[in-house]
Amino acid sequence: MNEMWDALAAGRSGIGPSDRPDFDGLQIKSVAAVEDFDPEAHFDAKDLPILDRYTQFALVAARDAVAQSGLEFNDGLGARTAVITGAGSGGMTTVDAAYKRLYQDGKLRVFPLTVPRLMVSAASSHITMAFGIRGPAYTISSACSSANHAIGEAFNMIRHGRVEAAITGGAEACLTRGTMGAWQSLRVMATDTCRPFSVDRKGMVLGEGAGMFVLETLEAAQARGADILAEIVGFGMTSDAGDIVQPSLDGVCGAISAALDDADLAPQTVDYVNAHGTGTDINDVVETAALHRVLGDHAKSIAVSSTKSMHGHALGGAGALELAATLKAIEHQTAPPTANFTNADPKCDLDYVPNEARAMTIDIALSNSFAFGGLNAVLAIKRMN
Amino acid sequence: MSDVEAKIRDIIAKEAQIDASKLTLDAKLAELDIESIDLVSIIYNIEEEYDIYIPQDDEQFKLETFRDVVDGVNDLITKKGAEPSSSAAS
Repeated sequence: MNEMWDALAAGRSGIGPSDRPDFDGLQIKSVAAVEDFDPEAHFDAKDLPILDRYTQFALVAARDAVAQSGLEFNDGLGARTAVITGAGSGGMTTVDAAYKRLYQDGKLRVFPLTVPRLMVSAASSHITMAFGIRGPAYTISSACSSANHAIGEAFNMIRHGRVEAAITGGAEACLTRGTMGAWQSLRVMATDTCRPFSVDRKGMVLGEGAGMFVLETLEAAQARGADILAEIVGFGMTSDAGDIVQPSLDGVCGAISAALDDADLAPQTVDYVNAHGTGTDINDVVETAALHRVLGDHAKSIAVSSTKSMHGHALGGAGALELAATLKAIEHQTAPPTANFTNADPKCDLDYVPNEARAMTIDIALSNSFAFGGLNAVLAIKRMN
Repeated sequence: MSDVEAKIRDIIAKEAQIDASKLTLDAKLAELDIESIDLVSIIYNIEEEYDIYIPQDDEQFKLETFRDVVDGVNDLITKKGAEPSSSAAS
């Protein structure tokens, strides 16, 4: 997480063209890949065959989160803890490999661990096994909002006393030939890089990775003297009931308003928004308009940045990477920039923190996720005093 | 009427569920009520038909009218130096 923050704070984008052979012939080759991930450095050789890349990311992130939290799931706490993770599509590297064998290589047998690897819930299951978590555990899938829905759900479970703690977040490893080809055909992918809110933006860039967090009640964390990163104070969700790919201004506004209402926060208290900011024509315009409508005049005085300009769009894992960015922004009292920024789109007229991080007071932050199919999920985060 | 023009008219009429008679050469695409999700299907089907790639952000490839589409696709076919993979025109 520190390494990621160093890059975000420096405005250093992880996006670039990939020359991997399985992208041969594709028109879109720009991705934000986790290039130097060595599975064998993190897992025993005997465990690796059962773990899709997305589950590997999820487990590494969960280990880091649990270690940082200092929480131990003994004395029955494991039974009173939830694991709620988000994923858009789960084990896509496994799906791609299986289909390639059957349809391209002419093989008649598929690798026997294909099903347990590709399950969209595999990451949640492996996290329960890694830490002995025996409470509610499942995976939420709402396309690009999956991680925010998962984190919001874990937040609500704790708030309503259904569990004492939760491991939550999101993961995705979607940089496969199949996924890239599918996104390419939607013609929303940038051929160069991701430039959210810039007039010459060309679309989104796929990323990958995972973010995991340990949640518990504020009282419990304080009682055990935990190093509290921030407080989740609100969660808002709506659905557009509109279009399967186009966002709706009403739906997006509704989710932002609901997060503020849930947190009992006035719009004027918001300092920073980690935007959904995909870099597509329509998202960035609608998100800007929504912030204007919900925050009113105050919209002009907040900092809004899309860190997707650096870590790419990790689909079901995106909200988790962005919550990590938001927590670090609060810790360092620094808004990460929107990288690759050129000139503002006239329809995008907020302060997007272009290209350079900015030291500023961040007491209240929002982290937005809006998904294909109109499933919107917004988290409200508060700095600890 | 060229084969390419007839084929593209068929594709647009089918994918966008609009009357082919509205697709005169001077018809403006913006006025045809084509949804964006249908547009990507139209592009996909044209690309598949002629085994071409329609550039995503090529400034030269301005598509205002139906004629622009036909001309643009004809240019791409010429550049590719290949015959259309099939002709559905009657």
